[in-house]
Order: sequence, then structure tokens, then C-alpha cells
Amino acid sequence: MRELKLFLGPQHPGMHGNASVHMFVEGDIIKRSYLLPGMLHRGFEKGMERHTWVNNISLIPRVCVVEPDINEMAFAMGVEKLANIEVPERAHYIRMLILELARISIHLMAYGGLGGPTGNYTLMYHAHADRNTILNIFEKITGHRIYHQYIVPGGVRKDLPVGIEKDIHAFLDDLESRYSEYRALGIENPSFIPRLKDTIMLPAEVVWELGVTGIGMRSAVNKPYDLRKVMPYARYDQIDFEVPVSDYSDARCRVDLKLKELVQCIGIVRQCLAKMPKGDVRVPMSKGQSMRWTVPKGHVYACVESSRGEFGYYMVSDGKSVHPYRVGVRGASFPQGLLGIEKYMPGTRIDDAAMWIDTMGVCSPEIDR
Amino acid sequence: MTNVNYVSELLERSFTINNKEVIDKHQVSFEVEKQDVHQILSVLKTEGWIQLSYLSAIDWIDENEFELVYILMNWERPVHIQIRTRIERENATMNSIMPIFEGCKYYEREVHEFFGIKFPGNPDHEKQLILENWDDMPPMRKDFDPRAYSDAHFAKREYTTDFSNLNNEPSKQAKRNERKNRTLRFKGGKK
Repeated sequence: MRELKLFLGPQHPGMHGNASVHMFVEGDIIKRSYLLPGMLHRGFEKGMERHTWVNNISLIPRVCVVEPDINEMAFAMGVEKLANIEVPERAHYIRMLILELARISIHLMAYGGLGGPTGNYTLMYHAHADRNTILNIFEKITGHRIYHQYIVPGGVRKDLPVGIEKDIHAFLDDLESRYSEYRALGIENPSFIPRLKDTIMLPAEVVWELGVTGIGMRSAVNKPYDLRKVMPYARYDQIDFEVPVSDYSDARCRVDLKLKELVQCIGIVRQCLAKMPKGDVRVPMSKGQSMRWTVPKGHVYACVESSRGEFGYYMVSDGKSVHPYRVGVRGASFPQGLLGIEKYMPGTRIDDAAMWIDTMGVCSPEIDR
Repeated sequence: MTNVNYVSELLERSFTINNKEVIDKHQVSFEVEKQDVHQILSVLKTEGWIQLSYLSAIDWIDENEFELVYILMNWERPVHIQIRTRIERENATMNSIMPIFEGCKYYEREVHEFFGIKFPGNPDHEKQLILENWDDMPPMRKDFDPRAYSDAHFAKREYTTDFSNLNNEPSKQAKRNERKNRTLRFKGGKK
């Protein structure tokens, strides 16, 4: 049969960002494929070298569009490690609160986004409506909906507003009461199961070969390899939560883990609100000028667990300048997005290609930077 | 014995370590010689550091050197190891680590594109990845100036503000007044 070249993208296909997948197909089976990134390259790493440390706080959330808080957290952790700063206790809990609310919102968005390639738009509308409630909460806490610039080196920008606990509890109760509805709409829906079950496999050997982390890894190797458990940052070691795992990684299993993690996130947010101590939320970075502080010399790699896996910043400071010497971003979806699509997407059908990208958690803004 | 001590002993026993730095209990960095990198990575891979988390380069232009960074992760003994090595800046070349970590393929391609370091052994490392039709020096080098590049390649946009009323349209306020009067006329309030 004749080989035909097809493109997926680069127009915004739902939520996978502006990257293009080139597919060579025979019939409806993909024979060869590769990702063509570059449509979203905005030169962040060069830009960060040319901005001061303070300016970078407003630049970094733009690296990943749908999940900006992990960028702020990784950057703040790196600066604190270099400068040896102890963050106040209350700030740790506020950071965890923000990160877990953001994780709920991104899991909802990814789960709802699955409605696009499968044609179940009801799911998408429900998920986006709930995400909107989280954005409203963020707006009350930080003043912004998407890019918060709230987690800064030394703590968080300002304290929580009075009475926000009520809003958060109301949202969590509402979401929990409709959790079974979400499952029934999505992965327990008879029209969904044939599309998801036993397709788009990810064996453990492939995980280790590519370097896939996050839900992809945990769904294949059956071990709780989560940075929040393995090397706890903030105060995750004082929070009681479980990491859902599995040993059979098909598309349905990875979506299932996403939903199970969502339940754990609800628990973490509740514990954060209950255990949050009183006190300061921020320590100043330096005694000198507030906008031109420097960071001691050193190399550091700071990483956090994002919804797609290990997300890290490699930072180098030369100790003299107000600019970072080098900042490198380790996008969580770099391995599966580039090498994974080249090696393991061939063999799937054309209509599963969008689902491959969605369930593997490929996010093109963090591949391009 | 902590995990960081375990790694330090393992490497210091058989390789020359120029500089060691313990960043915290989950991270340690080693500066090593260029010819030892492949052996060190192989040893660490057999010891359980099977995930290559990050690979990148730093341009130390004052010392005329590039520094390559390999970050490895072991999920059983949770330690991130930075292996750093210096190479010459002119004709920068480093043998690919693809036989050890296959996942490095695209990281090396990206480093080649942004720093101009060659990786013999990686079949695709000279293909373009992110920068389409790039015609200047690799952009992450410190002597590349984005503003000069932009001035040379793109025309300065000229902004003109012209507030004159070309089509002789009535102003917004006049339109609003007219609408208001019309409504009032219909209601019989104003003749």
C-alpha cells in the first residue's frame, strides 16, 4: 500500500500546544512518525540570562502554559538551595496548597481534554467548569487566574485572604460528591472503554529506556516513584497521602491513575488547611536593594513532581552578577514527546495518535521553551 | 551510610574527582575529567542510576571552555548526581553517550543546536530540531547578542498614530446621543 504523509498539528489541537507530529501512514496504521517542535520556541533560557533574578519570577510561569505553578516552585527551590534560605513554616503549607489545587486543575483539564479525540464533549465541559472554580479561588488568593507569580524565592508573595478556607472546602466537597459522576462519564463509559483499553501500551522497559517519569512510570513499574514521597520537598513528609500505582500500563490505566491522584490531592489540600500554622509567609532575599539581589555561586538542580513527571530547573550562578549565569529547564515530557513519538508511536492507528499524545502527557511548551 | 556517601566512595575509589560538592542530602555534584565520563556513567548505571534526567551545557566564555552536565537519578536510592566536565570551546566535541543512555538522543541534538558542540556517535545530532533555518552562530553561546541579530534580520516597525477622521464618520459620542434621542422619540418623550 502507498505510504502517505499526514500532519497532526501545528494548529492548536485542543490542549497539546502548537507542535506538529509528522506521520507516514499506510492505510490507517502509522509507519513512521516524528515530532516537529519549534512553533512555541520563545527563547526562555536565553531570556533568563538577560533578566535579573527578580525579573525572572514573572518570566518563568510562562514556560508551561497549563501548569505554571511548578515553574515558580522549582525556581524558588533552586534559589533557596543556592542561597541557603529557610522558608517560614506557614509558607511551606501555602505552597503545597497552591501546588495541589493546581494539580487538581491540570488533571481535570487533561481528563476533560480526552473528550476531544474521543468525541465526548460533555466530559470536557464539566471538567472545564470545575477548573474555572479553581481559577476563581486562585484569583482570590493571588490576584491572577493563570500566571500567579505567587511562589517567590523566600516564601510566598502575601498571606492568604481571610475566609478563603470556606471557598476551598465548598469546592472540594462539591468535587468529591461528583467524583463518581466523572468516572461514569469518562473511563467507565461503555463508549470510552474500547478506545482506551489495551491500546497505547507503555511497558516498564520502555519507561527506563526513554526516561519517562510521573504517571507514565508509576503505571508501568508498580512502585510509588513520586518525588513528593522519594525526596520530599516543602512539607510533603508531614502529610499523609498515597501514590496510586499499577503494573499494566494501557491508556485506560493511566487515565485511571490520574483520577485516583485527584482524590489524593483533595486529601492533601484538606490536611494543608488543617495543619497550617500561623506566622510569617516570607523572608527577604537580601539586606540590600530589594530588586537587585544576587545569589551565591554554585550549580543546583531543583525538581518538583508535576502532573507529567519530574520537572526541574538547572541553575548556575556566578555569584557576582544580578543575572543568572545559566538556567536550563528539564521539561517533564521531553523524553516521551521527542524520542517516544519517534520510536513508539509507529504501530498505532491514526485516530489514536491524539490520544497517544494526551495519555502520555506530552506538553509542547515545555519541550520548546 | 547515607546515599550521598555511598556514591562518593564509589566514584572516588576509581576515578579522579577534581571537585565534589554536596548540595543537600538528595543531591551531589562531581567535576571529572573528560575521558572518564563514559566509564563513570556506565558504573553508575550498573549501580542503579538508570535514569538520565537532564543533559546540557554551560558556556564559560572567560575561560574559553564549555561545561557539560549530566544529571542522573536513581529511584531506589534517591540521589540526583551531577557529573560535570569541561571541554575546549574551539571545535567542541564530546563522544555521544547513546550506547549507555539511549534517551540522550534528543538532549544531545538540542545541545548541538544551541551551543554547537558535536556529538560523534549520535546519528542525528546535526539535524535541525527547534530553530528552523538558523543562519547565525549557536544562540546560547554567550557572545551571541539577540538584539544585534534582531536588528540585522528584521525591519524596525514604525508606529504611526493617526486620529484624523478619514471617512467623515460621526464620533462615538454623537452616535450614542442619536441612539438615545431615537429611543426617547419612540417612547414619545421628545418630539
